[in-house]
Amino acid sequence: MNGHRVFFTFDITEDCHTLDAYKKRGGYEALAKVLKDGLQPADVQAEVAASGLRGRGGAGFPTATKWSFLAKNSPVYYLVCNADEGEPGTFKDRWIFEHTPHNLIEGMVLASYAINSRHSFIYIRGEFDLSYKRLMTALKEAYAAGLVGKNIMGSDFSCDIIVQQGGGAYVCGEESSLLSSIEGKKGYPKNKPPFPAVKGLFQAPTCVNNVETLSVLPWILRNGGAKYAEYGTEKNKGTRLFGISGHVKRPGMYEREVGYPYKKMIYEDCGGILGDKALKAVIPGGNSTPILKPEQIENLTMDIEAVAAQGSMLGSGGVIVIAEGTCIPTLLQVMTRFYAHESCGQCTPCREGTTWMNQIVTRIAKGQGKAGDIENLERIAKGIMGNTVCALGAAAAMPVQSYLKQFRHEFEYFIEHGRSMCDGRLEI
Amino acid sequence: MSNIEFSIDDKKLEALPGETVLKAALRNGIDIPYLCYHPCLSIAGNCRICLVRIKGRPGFHPSCNLPVAPGMEIESDCEDVSAVRKNVMQFITLNHPVDCPVCDKAGECKLQNYHFKYNGSASLSIDAKKHKPKFYDVNERILLDAERCILCSRCVRFTHEISKSGMLGITERGQQSRVEHLESGAAKDDYSDNIIQNCPVGALLSRDFLYKSRVWYLEPVASVCNGCARGCSVDVWRRKHHWKVRALGSEKNRMAYRITAKQNDDINGRWICNKGFDLNKQINDFASRATKPAIGGMDATCQDALSEARKLIFEAKKPAAIVSAHASNEELEAFKKTLGSRVEVYVRKDYEPAAGEVVEDELLIKADKNPNSTKVEELFGKESFSAAAGHDLVLVWGDNVEYSALSGAKIIHLATQKPNGNPDVLIPISTQFERKGSYTNFEGKVNRFEQVFDKPELVLHASDVFGRL
Repeated sequence: MNGHRVFFTFDITEDCHTLDAYKKRGGYEALAKVLKDGLQPADVQAEVAASGLRGRGGAGFPTATKWSFLAKNSPVYYLVCNADEGEPGTFKDRWIFEHTPHNLIEGMVLASYAINSRHSFIYIRGEFDLSYKRLMTALKEAYAAGLVGKNIMGSDFSCDIIVQQGGGAYVCGEESSLLSSIEGKKGYPKNKPPFPAVKGLFQAPTCVNNVETLSVLPWILRNGGAKYAEYGTEKNKGTRLFGISGHVKRPGMYEREVGYPYKKMIYEDCGGILGDKALKAVIPGGNSTPILKPEQIENLTMDIEAVAAQGSMLGSGGVIVIAEGTCIPTLLQVMTRFYAHESCGQCTPCREGTTWMNQIVTRIAKGQGKAGDIENLERIAKGIMGNTVCALGAAAAMPVQSYLKQFRHEFEYFIEHGRSMCDGRLEI
Repeated sequence: MSNIEFSIDDKKLEALPGETVLKAALRNGIDIPYLCYHPCLSIAGNCRICLVRIKGRPGFHPSCNLPVAPGMEIESDCEDVSAVRKNVMQFITLNHPVDCPVCDKAGECKLQNYHFKYNGSASLSIDAKKHKPKFYDVNERILLDAERCILCSRCVRFTHEISKSGMLGITERGQQSRVEHLESGAAKDDYSDNIIQNCPVGALLSRDFLYKSRVWYLEPVASVCNGCARGCSVDVWRRKHHWKVRALGSEKNRMAYRITAKQNDDINGRWICNKGFDLNKQINDFASRATKPAIGGMDATCQDALSEARKLIFEAKKPAAIVSAHASNEELEAFKKTLGSRVEVYVRKDYEPAAGEVVEDELLIKADKNPNSTKVEELFGKESFSAAAGHDLVLVWGDNVEYSALSGAKIIHLATQKPNGNPDVLIPISTQFERKGSYTNFEGKVNRFEQVFDKPELVLHASDVFGRL
């Protein structure tokens, strides 16, 4: 089960991102099959449904089901690719942009065809430099080759892809604030209802999909949904890109079938822990996901349900490995500082709560913690959790709750002694 | 479409189709707290104080953005919801100075009320509060105390959605967020003072009202703005009777401390323009007020002034009267009944648009700067006074009159303000704020105003004068 690959099917070369290289490895065959063989949008949707593909952005919602939620009989539909990859520890979209951007472009056209979008958007993170350049070059190539734009591949289907660079706000990775940003407004999340599938971009039904989700569509359409469904687990089909970072010997991007064991990934594929230290913890899916202890990953596999059963989330697939000797309160200070900085400031619990948590954790990390700080942190996190406009509040509260639950003794020690159990180290 | 049945705290209610839980609750007298919600503005859903539970569904939901569904069971008064409200209050007051004793909004601040009702405990934070700009100039009329601002965005939404000036926006993010004047927005907003009234806390401050009085010393009296033919409903805030000053500064008892918009869905909705908010300056202009009767420029008693006026009218061969578009419906009726057939009647608009004033816009402001032109014209037509008509006596009723335009006729002047010259007889009359009455606006809608102050001793009500001439 471990050998199947959807993305890692080619060598990384100087020109692997170009149209020629992409075509040589079967690029745009799926699009040709759809447009020239006369497949209808419903056929594309059915194929994706058969694949069992679930969104790769974090929530893991079935992709075909998400498309089916789009309001019916609208004169305009929009497809938006969420490429505002900002979750620390997650870097899979960047890999796709830098090495195989045509995968995304072909996937965008296929998805646009499936949902009847004539103007589709890629909202790309402002800090992505090489990714943006390669995307724009690839898009130019695709337009020139008639693969995007008017009468794609000589068919009746026309679709433009518009690329929008973000301003560097983490919250714009949240789908509704991403839409606000494209509309030219401040990147504030929108209240739901209405959901984007009913009233999204410029009030039209809109589907927001992740880069990896869209990039996998050419493979599914070329090889068939049933083939894709052979990979992975019963409820989590296919392969996923996992970005491994932290204290491992070989950090980087790995593609594995869903259901691959964490331990095997860390100790075999990534070469084990730096300095052959013991494993202290694992953040399983981007830094907002609750932290797990070594005993929790003993038999844990990389699939949504299995990780959820341990009280965490597979999220975006960004795994952060933490070795023994790392100071957890100091690590939490880094986390809380990030969320306090990135809160958009729209709703009260997130605006005030994220900074408040950071204020307390910073004080603890400076050796100035006070009795009651831990209880206050728990109260604040509970007050934020689920009570905010978007999920950024929960993303900020979950690390606080889980770190306190899993490593409470380190915080208590820090407060009592005014210093870290681990000398305040993050490096090994 | 039929109404939707649902329940809040086990109380069966009906909601209108498309109504949100908060709207339905408020319409049915159920008190769900809210700060950022405003019925005339888009839903922001950012204060999070209106969170409620839906039975059978996890988590909490903002009632301001929650459409009522058939059979929905809402819990708004349970332990969980109270705990969430308490948490939200802790967040809101984290950096709020809680300086109610010196805040202009004390006594009418929603945050203050909710703090007592839903929180009632000291801050959990032991760290120093974050200080934001204390007096930020929003414009020449408004100051922003950013420390007190809870970023509900009502002011921002008002300038974008109602006045359309786009003057304000929220800059920065996270706890650095603050309301500021946007460079891209208009420099001037003729409705800007509405944001003071709609600020749920004491963040937006009127320079005019700042530190003038605590609100609990004052009471509102329903009145009508006389600034244009719209005739917006306003509240004139006067000192309450039992708080009247009895020693030095007794003039404060006759002051209009502030003007606020009074909701009148038929005429002005919930807004008025800045000219309406300045109505107190007109009321408090005691220096220009005509308070004493005069004959030929010399002070006289009311009785003598009335006798002299009566004599002049009796002796006149061709008397005329000019009636004002500032007079009330009741006064105009009284005039028509008593004097209308004895004199030739002309109408006159006391005020034309002043230099720099907005002439007319799409929201409220009308080009006719007089409140009762409709009724005057209905009763007396549109003909204005002409010197060529050869009248030997003119009864002028109104202000802002140039006597030179009356071609040397004898003049009896019924005025609220000191005239520009000496008429043969001057009879000071009460202002709109010293009597009850009504105006008919440009759409024919009648709007009543109440008496705010007693008239000065030697001043007469115009409607009492006509029968004595």
